[in-house]
Order: sequence, then structure tokens, then C-alpha cells
Amino acid sequence: MEKQSYKNTLLIVIGNLILLLAVFSITAFAQGKTAPAASEEGKALYDDKCAHCHGIEGAGDGSAAENLLPRPRDFTRGLYKIRSTESGQLPTDQDLFDIISNGMPGSSMPAWSEILSEGEQWQLVAHIKAFYDGFEGASPRLIDVSGKVPYSEESIAQGKEFYTNLGCVDCHGVIGRGDGTSAPDLADEWGFRSWPANLWEQWNYRGGSTTEDIFKRFIGGIAGSPMPSFISSFRLGLTDEESARMNDLELKMDGDGLSDTEEEEYAALEEKLFMFEDIMLNVEEGVELTPEEQTKLDTALEPILEKSWHLANYVKSLGPEERPPAAVGDKVLRSQYRAEGLPGMNDEAWNEIQEVSYFPLVGQIVIDPRQFNPSIDSVTAKSFYNDNEIVFLFTWDDRTKTLPQTDDETGETVEDALAIQFPVKISEGPTDPKPYFIYGDSRPVYLWSWKVAEPSTVIEMNAKGIGTATVQADQAPIQAEGVYKDGQYQLWIKRSLTTEDRNDVQFAPGVFIPIAFSAWDGSNGDVKTKRAISTWYTFVLDPVPSNKRFVYPPLVALISVGLLFGLRSSVRRRQNT
Amino acid sequence: MRRLSLFTKCLIIFVVLWLFLRFFIGGVWSVPLPASVISMYLGLILLAILVHVSVEDDRFREFLRPVKETLADENRRVRRTVLFVLIPLVILGLAFSRLSTKADPPAALRTAHPAPPTELKYRDKVIGPTQEVENPFRHLEKDDQEAFQAHVDNGRRVYYQNCFYCHGDDLDGEGHFAHGLNPPPANFQDPGIIPNYQESFFFWRISKGGPGLPPAATPWDSAMPVWEDHLTEEEIWDVILFMSEYTGYRPRTFGEAEH
Repeated sequence: MEKQSYKNTLLIVIGNLILLLAVFSITAFAQGKTAPAASEEGKALYDDKCAHCHGIEGAGDGSAAENLLPRPRDFTRGLYKIRSTESGQLPTDQDLFDIISNGMPGSSMPAWSEILSEGEQWQLVAHIKAFYDGFEGASPRLIDVSGKVPYSEESIAQGKEFYTNLGCVDCHGVIGRGDGTSAPDLADEWGFRSWPANLWEQWNYRGGSTTEDIFKRFIGGIAGSPMPSFISSFRLGLTDEESARMNDLELKMDGDGLSDTEEEEYAALEEKLFMFEDIMLNVEEGVELTPEEQTKLDTALEPILEKSWHLANYVKSLGPEERPPAAVGDKVLRSQYRAEGLPGMNDEAWNEIQEVSYFPLVGQIVIDPRQFNPSIDSVTAKSFYNDNEIVFLFTWDDRTKTLPQTDDETGETVEDALAIQFPVKISEGPTDPKPYFIYGDSRPVYLWSWKVAEPSTVIEMNAKGIGTATVQADQAPIQAEGVYKDGQYQLWIKRSLTTEDRNDVQFAPGVFIPIAFSAWDGSNGDVKTKRAISTWYTFVLDPVPSNKRFVYPPLVALISVGLLFGLRSSVRRRQNT
Repeated sequence: MRRLSLFTKCLIIFVVLWLFLRFFIGGVWSVPLPASVISMYLGLILLAILVHVSVEDDRFREFLRPVKETLADENRRVRRTVLFVLIPLVILGLAFSRLSTKADPPAALRTAHPAPPTELKYRDKVIGPTQEVENPFRHLEKDDQEAFQAHVDNGRRVYYQNCFYCHGDDLDGEGHFAHGLNPPPANFQDPGIIPNYQESFFFWRISKGGPGLPPAATPWDSAMPVWEDHLTEEEIWDVILFMSEYTGYRPRTFGEAEH
């Protein structure tokens, strides 16, 4: 009997343990893992791998920080950009782990998943948390992603509408290239320059580019940056109509003033808002809401969350997830022969070329003054030619159109510009020397220089080393047209295939011609050697497919038939003799 | 199963070797080989096969037997007809595609790790013969641990202020500028890099950068800056110490046997 009850107790205890474990693992699953306690190992690891950017004390002031933009995170304030938690909340441990693991694309923060073990990354999470007291006992509220709206054309269209109407364009620009009117003046919490994301470059989304990732950035905001939580753009507690009405009334209040009934109406709306503010205050302070309040909050948030999903679907629809492959190998730029005439800047004919060639740019850090944080990351190109002329269409994203102006920091005159570089003499093989990739050396380069102040002019230049670029005395007639629209420059250039000038590059079909780029963003302080550059690439005027291909192959085939029959009869003859 | 004829065997060997070159060597194991290199190898293989089969008269006859049979025997008519149609068609196809394909961009042939000059220089100052110059701070590792650590720390600062943009946080050649560079930045975590060269070699590569390379290493393509324009002699030696400390790989020392 006694034994039986002992057994029962044991069973109950085990049962409870299992239950406890299950509950525990479910919560762990829901919230992600949690970091271990901060340790000496974590500190050693941090000092070795992180401190040179983030600083020994975690203040984002390591020795490398000065030349980095975005700056390395300052861990002492508890402000984290990429979170799965609501606005104003700390990140979860899993959030911190994910950032370490995946890195922050588009910044200098690399992905550590391949370099450090999972355990080591958790030790880092623990160490980073120790820089900010607020983490102690915090249980941040997670963003609810359960109401996901499936990706559809309809949802994208709705999202686009919200994008335009809710102020996104102010920073991110009309079509999302990060070229909004306030883009030049944005700064983060620490006073450092903050560029709005170019939404077309999803490979640079710091926190990932899935629809859920994008949604979380809307709801949670990007702490420390000018990107607010989407929720703050709404008057919580009011319907769309009520909110619009309140706007109208406010406008009127500033103008003619309100009538008595309108005054009353306004006061009623205000009352509703205040009531909601109490609820939000409770949420903020972690006071448990009454079921009634909770229902109210949920009802108010529901349409906003839905809008955010539409918006996330729209943003997701803007561009490819991966950076396009560079214009090498089978992606090399091929100028197409076009007998029907060469297209002007806005001609439909450009659409005949499906794939643009992509030339990545990096900062020029070889020669002082250097550009460690280039804002122009690539140039793309398409090209056609005919028997006499060649035409190019270059595009590059620039968040700001900068006409010549004095740079506040350096006092230099800065402006947006592009230079396209060719060798004067085209090398005959891979080992035949080329000019140095930045403006040549004893072997000269030939340059097309375009500046935003004179958008219809391309100046021919030669250079024999950086700082030696000179304008050619004899300018060939080059047609050019440059346009800035929605965060992107387009530059159309047409020149004759060949010129009389020995200092010009001569274009001929079938020859692989080296090409390189320099790009200046005046708003980023680019001037002279401080700029974005590419290394040498090559392009080719694709030879017109020759008609020979209909003549020779059948001939060869016929000959082979003849040979086969010849062989056969000779073998037979020998066998018979 | 019937025994394979000598001709079939040779054919199989040839095809297998071609597949090996085309898809294993140039694909699984390494970057694709240029077509001209493959045809050169195939030419050699063909020559070897022909030499092998024609050494003895009997063997050569055995080799040719199935060919002759196919060409002349009455009971091989079906096979012959099929081949007489197929072979010209394949030739037609090959010749047509050859004339229609677009020109390949020139291959980038370069010596990745060229021999250093005999004399090691910082700017115009001669330091000594490259083979013999040692890192002047290396001895501190034994003599004065603290001073050594100070040099390594300084090297760390130099690295993260100058080098990591291209060579990466983890010295793995995966810096945030790396995607735009060709040739790609060196990966110091590769066990084939640091242990194979002396510290003086790294001093040369860092101080003279891309433009200091010999022509075979395409100096015009390398984005490696001439760091003697930006760094002091000591800073360069320090960053070499740091690279070695961080990766755990020791550069070769003078007098060590060639690998």
C-alpha cells in the first residue's frame, strides 16, 4: 500500500516535471533561446573580434569606428535597430544572436555564423547585454506576426498606396530609392549621418529581406535611426475617418477657427485619443490591461497591422533579393549591333536588352583623400552600335542630386559626376600590360567626364596617373544627355566608333575593351580622388553573326560524308583483293 | 557479356578522360579550364592511345578490326547507316555552334604570388636583402612579452583602420569592399598563405601594393594600395605580427626548407 502511494507520488512528480519541461520549451521556442550568463570567455572573444569597432567598453568607439558609416553600434544605450520586439522595447536575446550570426548586410558588420561556433556567439550576446543595465529582468514584448497577409498583386497595390500617403516618400523617395527630400539631412541618435534605405537593394536590408523582416521594421521602428515605428503615424483609437476628420478640424482651427459644434466634435475626438493614451501608458509601464482595454487595443491595432503587411508586400515587390552578378564571364557587357538605328535616351529600343550589366563600385582608398564610405555602389550599362557609332546608357543610384556646392567640412566644391575610363591602347592579351586601373600610369587612359552641372556635355580627357587628368584640346563630337529622376542618374552617350585622335579609344567589333568607372556623390563629400571606383572590367561590341555559319558547316558535313564513303569503299576494295 | 573490343576500350578511356578534365578538374575541383587547354590535353591523350595501339602490328589490326567491320561488313549495315548519318550531323552541329557562339572574354591569367624583388625597400630606403630581412619586432616575442603585445595591438589597430575593408573582419578576404574587387583580396585564413611566405615578403606586398607587382601579376588590376604612402615602417611590421597572431599561422622564417 505504502509502496503504491510512493509510486503514485513519483509518477505525479515526473508528470509535473515533463509538463514543466514542455511548458518551458514552448516558451523557449516562442521567444527564441536566451543567452547564458556573461563570462570571461565572452569578454575575451568580444575583445578579439568586436572591440576594434564597438570599443572595449561597448560604446561603439573602437579604433576602426571613425571611418565607418553606419557607425558600429553603441551598446551602452540599449538602442538596437533590428528587433523582433515592439517600438521602444529592448531586443530579445535571439535578436542579438541573429544579428551576430547574419551580420548587417550593407554595413561593415560581417556574418559571424561561419566564423564562430553557436556557443561562442551566445557568449557574445551575454557580453553585449552586460553593457546596458536595462537588460536586467527585461521581458520585451514581441511583435505579433500572426496576421500575415499573403503576397498578392492586390496587397502590393494597397501597400503602394500607403507608401505614398503615409510619409514613407519623405525619406525613401517616390519609388523607394532612398532619395526622399529629407534624405540629405538625416542623422541618427548619435548625430552621425543616416542614409534612408534604398528599398530596391534588398541585399542591403540590415535585418533581412523576408516580408516578416520588413514588417517587423515597420512595427518596431529602427531604434536610434530616423526610421519611426509605423504605429506612431496613426492616431490610435480613432478610425481612419475620425482621424481624417480631426486633421480637417485642426487645419480649420489654424485658419478660420471652429464653430461651436465643431469645437464639440473636436473635443469628443480628443477624449477618445486621451483614453487611448492611458491604455498605451499602461502598456508602456507593463501594467496588465483589463480585458476590455485589451480588446480596445487589439481592435485599434488590427487595421494598422494589416496595412503594415500590405506595405511590407509592396516593399518586398520592389527588387531582387540578391546583388546582381558583376559584368564578368557570361555577364560581360555586350554592345549589340543594331541596323535599325541607335536609340536615343528614352527609346523603347533599350528594352530589347533584357539584362543590364552590373559594375560594382567600392570606395577609393588607394590615394589620399580617400573615400571609406562610398554612397554610390554600382553603375549599370547597356549599349548598342552600328557601322558608324556606338551608344551607351549608364545608370547609377544616387540618393541626392548635388549641383556644385561648397562642402561644409572640406570647403571644396563638390558635385555629382561620373567618369568612364578606357585605355588609350587596348592590350592584346591578358598579360599585355594595361594602364593602372585608377587613371592609368605611363600607359595613358582615355576618359569621358560627365558632371551634373552640364548634363548634356561629356568632356574627353586623358590621364597618365591620378591627378594628371587633362582635358583634350581636340574634343570629338560626343553626344550626351544626363537626367536625374527618382534617385537615379541616367546618362546617354553616343560617339563614332573611330576617331582621328590618337589619344582616343577606338571601338571595333569583336575586341574586348577594358572599361572602368569613377563616380562622385557631392552630397557624400566626394571630390577629386575621394570617390567610388570600379576595377577594370571588359566589354565587347558583339560581332554581327556571320552568314558563313550557313555555308561552312554544311560543307564540312558533306565532306565528312564523302570521307566516310571513301573509307568504306577503300576497306572493301582491300578485303576483296 | 562479350569482351569489349580494343577500340571500344580506347573510346571509353578517351571519353572518361575528357569528362574528367571538363567537369571534375574544371568544375568540382577548380575553375573551368579554357577550351584550348582541354583540347591540348585531349590531343596528347589521343596521341598516347594511337602510340599504344600501333606499337605492335597485331594490336593495331585488332584495334582497326571493329572499324573495318563497321565500314564494310554486310551484317553491320544498320550500325553503318546510323553512324553515316549521325557523324556528319554531329559535325554539322558542332561547326554551326562554333560559328554562332559569342567570343569569350579574355581569361584573367596572372601569377597570384610572385617572387619578391631581391632588395626590400621602404619608400626609397633599402632595408636589406628580402631573403634575409626579419621582422625587427619578432624577437620581442621571446625577449619582452609585454612589448611584443603592444606591437600586436598596434598592428590590430592598423589592420582595422586600413585593411579590413577588403581583407575582412576575420582576415578571410571577405571584407565589405571585396565583392567589387578582381583579383579578390587575399584570404589570410587560407593555410596556404601566411605559412608559405616570409615576413619580408608580406612587408614587400604591403608597402609596394598592387603597383609594385611584376607584370606577370597584373599590377594594373590589383586594388592593393601602396601602403608605404599611408603607414610607417613600424606599422607595417606590426600589422604583420597581428596577422600572424590573429590567424595562428606563423610566416616562414629564413633558412627553413622550401616547401
